[in-house]
Parts: sequence; C-alpha cells; structure tokens
Amino acid sequence: MNNGIDTSPRWSRAARGAALPLVLLVTWQVWALSLPTGSPAPAPLRVLKAAVELITTGGLLDALAQSLGRVLIGFAAALVLGIVLGVLMGSSRAVRDNLDPIVESFRPIAPMAILPIAILWFGTGTPSALAIVTYAAFFPVLVNTVHGVTRVDRKLVLAAQTMGVSRLSILIRVVLPGALPSIVLGSRLAMGVAWTAIIAAELAVGAKSGGGGSGGIGQMMFVFYAYSIDLNAIVVCMIMVGVVALLIDRLFRWLEPRLIPWKQ
Amino acid sequence: MTDPTAQPKLRLHNVTKTFTAPRTGQQTLAVADINLDIQAGEFICIVGPSGCGKSTVLNMIAGLDRPSSGSIEKDGTPITGPGADRGVMFQDYALMPWQTAQDNVGFGLRHGTPGQPFTPAEREARINHFVDLVGLKGAEKKYPHQLSGGMRQRVALARLLANGPDILLMDEPLGALDAQTRLILQIELLRIWGETAARTQRKTAIFITHDIDEAVFLADRVVVMSSHPGRVRAVLDIDLPRPRSESIRTHPRFGQLAEEIWELIRDEAYRAISGSTDTAPTPPETATRTATTS
Amino acid sequence: MKTQVVLPNAHIGFGPLRRMLRQRWFLALRAFTLFAAFWWVFFVWNDNPLQLPSPVRVVAALGSLIATGELFEHALISTTRLLTALGIAIALAVPLGFWMGLSRTAEAFIDPLIELLRPISGIAWLPLALFIFGVGNTLPVFIMVYVGFFPILMNTMAGVRQIDPKLIAAAATMGVGRRALLLHVLVPAALPTVMVGIRLAFAASWAAIVAAELIGAPSGLGFAIEWYRQLLMTPKVYAFILIIGVVGYLCDLGLRALQHVMTPWSEGTGLQ
Repeated sequence: MNNGIDTSPRWSRAARGAALPLVLLVTWQVWALSLPTGSPAPAPLRVLKAAVELITTGGLLDALAQSLGRVLIGFAAALVLGIVLGVLMGSSRAVRDNLDPIVESFRPIAPMAILPIAILWFGTGTPSALAIVTYAAFFPVLVNTVHGVTRVDRKLVLAAQTMGVSRLSILIRVVLPGALPSIVLGSRLAMGVAWTAIIAAELAVGAKSGGGGSGGIGQMMFVFYAYSIDLNAIVVCMIMVGVVALLIDRLFRWLEPRLIPWKQ
Repeated sequence: MTDPTAQPKLRLHNVTKTFTAPRTGQQTLAVADINLDIQAGEFICIVGPSGCGKSTVLNMIAGLDRPSSGSIEKDGTPITGPGADRGVMFQDYALMPWQTAQDNVGFGLRHGTPGQPFTPAEREARINHFVDLVGLKGAEKKYPHQLSGGMRQRVALARLLANGPDILLMDEPLGALDAQTRLILQIELLRIWGETAARTQRKTAIFITHDIDEAVFLADRVVVMSSHPGRVRAVLDIDLPRPRSESIRTHPRFGQLAEEIWELIRDEAYRAISGSTDTAPTPPETATRTATTS
Repeated sequence: MKTQVVLPNAHIGFGPLRRMLRQRWFLALRAFTLFAAFWWVFFVWNDNPLQLPSPVRVVAALGSLIATGELFEHALISTTRLLTALGIAIALAVPLGFWMGLSRTAEAFIDPLIELLRPISGIAWLPLALFIFGVGNTLPVFIMVYVGFFPILMNTMAGVRQIDPKLIAAAATMGVGRRALLLHVLVPAALPTVMVGIRLAFAASWAAIVAAELIGAPSGLGFAIEWYRQLLMTPKVYAFILIIGVVGYLCDLGLRALQHVMTPWSEGTGLQ
C-alpha cells in the first residue's frame, strides 16, 4: 500500500506530526481556562508548573528511582528464573511435558491477580511489589527462552557432538547463543510488562493499605488522587510513566544489535 | 501473416517509460521507443533477457502503468487505465488467498464490471464452465495455499478467461512450474485460446516468457527485446502450422527459429550471467543450442 | 536432570497403553497431579492456611462458590465488561487503522499522537479515570478500551500496509470499483493481521481488568479476590484466581475459534 518512501522534507513531516498534539493541547488549555477558578481539572500550563515543583521539591525523581529499582530487581530475578527454567524445558522433553500445562494455566492469570496473595505472604511493602514484578516478567522470558531453545538448529548440536564437545559446553556455546535473539526479545517484552506491573502494584497496595508505606511512583499517584486531589500532579506522573516506558524500550532497541551482532 | 489494411487491435507508438527513484530522483530509462502493431486474434510472445522491460510493456498495455511518452491505443482509442477488457495473468498469479479456487475464478464476475451483463445465475454457470474448462473440477473448494503451482496457474487462467477480456496479457505465467507441467499447460493454453477455431474467434494474446522454445511453440509472432534500455530488437513471424502438437518441436523450422532468436539475445544473456558489460566470449553455440531445444 | 533425546517416531509400534501415555490430556493430567502434590507438600511444610490453604480446601471453596452462583455472577460481570470494551476498541481502532494504513496524510498527522500516548500504560490512567468516572462499570471498561486500542490499531495498520499490491492491481484489471475493492480485497487481505491484533488486545485487556476491578469496581473477579483477601477467606481468594485463569483461557480459545471461522485461509499465511 503506501509503503513507498516519504519524500517530503523533514521539517514538513515534523510540522504535520506536531499539528494534532498541539491543537489538542491548545483546546485543552482553552477549555480549562473557561472553567470556574478552583476547579481541580488539569490544564497543560498547570501540569507544567506541577512538573517543575514535583521534580525540584516534590520527590518525583526519588519515587521514580524507587519504582525503577524494584523493577530492575524483579526483572533480574525473572531473567534468572526464566532462562534457567526455559533452557531446561526447551532441551528436555520430559521437563517440558510436565511443566508446559502448568505454565499455560498460569499465563492468563494477570500479575495483579497475584497481588492479594502477595499481600498475604509478604505484607504491603517492597517484597510484595517485587513478587508481582517477578511474576509478571517471568512469563515473557520463559516462553521466549523455550521457543528460542527449541528452535536451535539440531544440526548445529549434532555438528558440535561430532567434534567431541561436551554436553555442558554445547549448552553454553551452541544452545544459548542460538536462543539469544529470542531471549533478548523476551527480555524486552518482560521489561515493558514489569514496568506496567510495578505501577499497578504500587497503586493497588496504596489503595488497599490506606496509603501506607509502599512508596514509588504508583503510590505517589494514588496519594495525589485520594488525599490531595491534585490532578495536575497525577498527569505529571502519567507522563513520567510514559517517558520511562519509552526510555526502557529505546534502551533495549539500542542493546539488541550489540548483544546479538551476528543477527544482521 | 497479418492483414495490413485492418486497424490493429493494439498499437504501441514510440512508447518510452522512465522510472524515477523516490529519494535520489535519479531517472532510469526502462523501455525506449517501442513501436508495435498487434492484430486481432494474434498470439504474440515477448522474449528478452531479464531487465529488458517486458513486464513494463505489459503493465502499460494493462493500464497499470502509464508511458512517459508515446501512446498505446486499443482499437484506435488511447488506453488510460486498467479495465476488464484487457485481462492480466500475473507472474505469481495474484490469487486472492482468502477465496477458494471457484471464488477466485468468479472474482471479476461477482465484484467487477465483467459480471454486469449477466444475471446471478448466468454468472455462476459461467464460473462453472471455466472451472471445468481448465480442469479444476474437484479442487474448486480449495484455497490457493492448498493447491499446487500447476493448479494455481489453472485458477489464474480460468479467472482470466471468465472475465471475457478481448486481450489476454500473460506475464511469464508458466515460469514457476516444473518442466513437465509446463509442456502440458502450453498445449492446453493453445487449446483454450482457440487454436482450432477460426482466426476471428481467437482472442488477442500477449505472452511474456524467457523461454525461447515456449515462445516459438506458442506464438504467431515473437517480439525479441534487448535491455538497458528495453527496445524491440526484432519481430519474427513464426510460420509453423496450427494446430500445433508436441511433434512440432522436432520440425526443422522450429529449431531454425529458436536458433535465430537465441542469436539475437545470446550476447546479452551472457552479459547478464557474468554481470559485466563486456561482450561475452563466443560460446560453443551449437552445443548450447541443442541442449535447450531438445 | 536427565536429558533424553526423543525421536519423532514415538507412536510407531506402540500398544494402546503406550499411546494413551503420549496423549495430550494424559500429559496435562499427570502435570496437574504433580503440581497438586507439590502444593500439598508445601502446604504441610508452610503450615499457615491463611497464606496457603490445602488444595482440597480450595477445591471445596470452588464448589461452594459454584453452588451459590457467586462465581458465575462475578465471572459474567467481568466477561461482559471485557466484551463491551473489546467491541468498543475494535469499533474505534479498526476503521482508524484502515484510514492510517491507506492514507499517508492521515498517518503523518495521527501517528505521532498515538506514539505519544502508547507508552503510558492503561494502569497509569487509573487514578485520573477514578476521579472522572468514579467506582463502577465505566472505569474498568475505559481502561480496557484504552489498553486494547493500541494492539488493534497497530495490527490493522500493519495489515493494510502489507497487502500485496499485485492483488490490488489484479482487481483493477478486472474492473473492480472502489467499494468492491475495499470490501473484497483490502478488508479480507488485512483481516488475519487484524485478528491477531484482537487476540493481543484481549490478552492485554484481561490483564488490565483485574487491576481495574481490584481498585475501582464494586463487582467482578478482580473485586472478588481482593474482597475475600480482606475477609481473610484465603481458599476463596485462590478459587477466584483459578477462575481468572480459566475464563482467560476459555476466552482465548473462543477467539482462536473465531479466528479460524473468519479467516480459514490464514493457515496459509502463517498467522495462526
């Protein structure tokens, strides 16, 4: 269809792209100005002001750092668990037969459904949030690792065997590199899911524990909703959530060709 | 062979086509100064090395592409766009993957202009007729991906004919088939085109191929093209008797004609293989020739 | 762990018993039995039924929830919300995706806005949406429409762009008009990719509904698990989590069946 190359100059494409967001922003601002003073409705300029305040004095960056720290720890745990189990399931039919039905049954259970159990087990603090992030990130890593390992060309394994390479060595030097593109893809998906899950977990823990103790950007949003009713601050948090998600995605896209340079 | 007094079915006059690269704006001359008159009921084969613009010429006649200069007229009227009066059989068939063989045959009749003169019942009867004619009975409910290459080719042929065009445009339709299927379908194609019927009953057919034997076997006239840019190098009358059967391939005239065409394109074919623009070394031509004709 | 090489001829010359042992249902049954056994061992070792009840208690809770009709009621509410949201998301995203896929101009104007919104996860809309809609039906539906919108839009656009230009050329040479071209070429050609987008949208919506109901709805499966957590009726919490998995699985099965009915040819496209 229109997959031809856009020949129009750069500035014209940028102008067209910015048109709709700008129109919406201006409409939003005008609409907000028409409201009576004291209305809690957010407006672009007030959001900007709130952003400056939150970043300089409001602890927004601290909250983001806390959420990101949790995501990284949970992601790391999921990565280790997912890859180890994934390689086992991918390389052994016996393990796969026994675990596959279990994995498939858990997959449609949303991370947030685990939250009540996590609260029962670990309370409303960081461990609960970590458990949910790990659970959320685990499945994409696992499923893609299994896929990658089972797709490794059997001939490569046979070739290594004819060269007298040991089993462990084959695993490390043939199977894992062969599955790496798939594992990296799984990691990227996992990181995206983990970031969504931490927001949900912090929000819900905040909502269900009366605002106590969990911290993080999700908690911060809930406090702005339930206690100070500061919608401008909520919008700032939403934008930050989006920015971080975008940065995570970009980071992985930057990493991908560096981790797997042989994949054209 | 042709009657010079009659108005040609198709007239290509100084047809030139240049393509512009989207980003660099660089112009490539694809075909240049094509002049060709095609009479009603003629079977024309266009042969030439790859990149000689055969498909571009066909697309321009179909109306899918416009000449950069020059004109293409059908029955004296310029061609301005695609239409069901000029049916196209595409190289990879272009069958709708979501339709069964039968629905593909009926696509133009049901959704396009060719169905307008018919009642729904007549359309279905017509579809069945062409499904039968090309030997698709029993496979009509299958999807294209469930059919072999030869069967898909039959679907494409039936679709082409069911729309009742007066010009058949075929872009290497047998190119993707194995050698045996190809020979069988060449004979069937001539039968369906109307080889045994009177000259006035036949459709006008333009058939692109890179296979010289195929061209000689099928055509009334062979248009030999050269490349960079695509030009008409020669037009040969194929004065072999019709109806043609397998045995015609052993006819001495058949070999002579094939030889003549090969002479015309040999140099360029060699150049295309070696990827260089130098003149090819003189090949042991007779040996090569017998290998491809037999 | 013992790595065994399994040859693909496992069914050759085996008796009926051996054949049964290789059946899918048997493998699943064995896997679940093993899982229940591990659960039981862990339950005995953990010795805290508030955290982990025995599998028997969970099955009993499931039975009573079915008997009282409570389970069905919550599952129906959640499924209705899900289907409503999917319906709205499809109605919005498919036409927009077609428009953006077919028109360069539409894409140039709208795509940046989409790319700005897409990274903001549906969950992050919860506080603002709570303020606007309050606790009720609208909130979970809004979140799910938002979450489902993007995969459907992206897949529709991709599906339209991937249409083989030869098919459109072929239709043109058969005198097919604009309307028929859209209806009989563009729509069916893009449909398999659109269906994949709908399944992705479902998966994302189903994950979001639990969060949305848990925080902002007075009913539904997500609400129920949190409700029974607060009442410390742990077996019912587990029973509802189980049901979230089962309903999610059944819905995906339904969508696969729908995909098969609507695009029976897509086995040839490698999308199923």
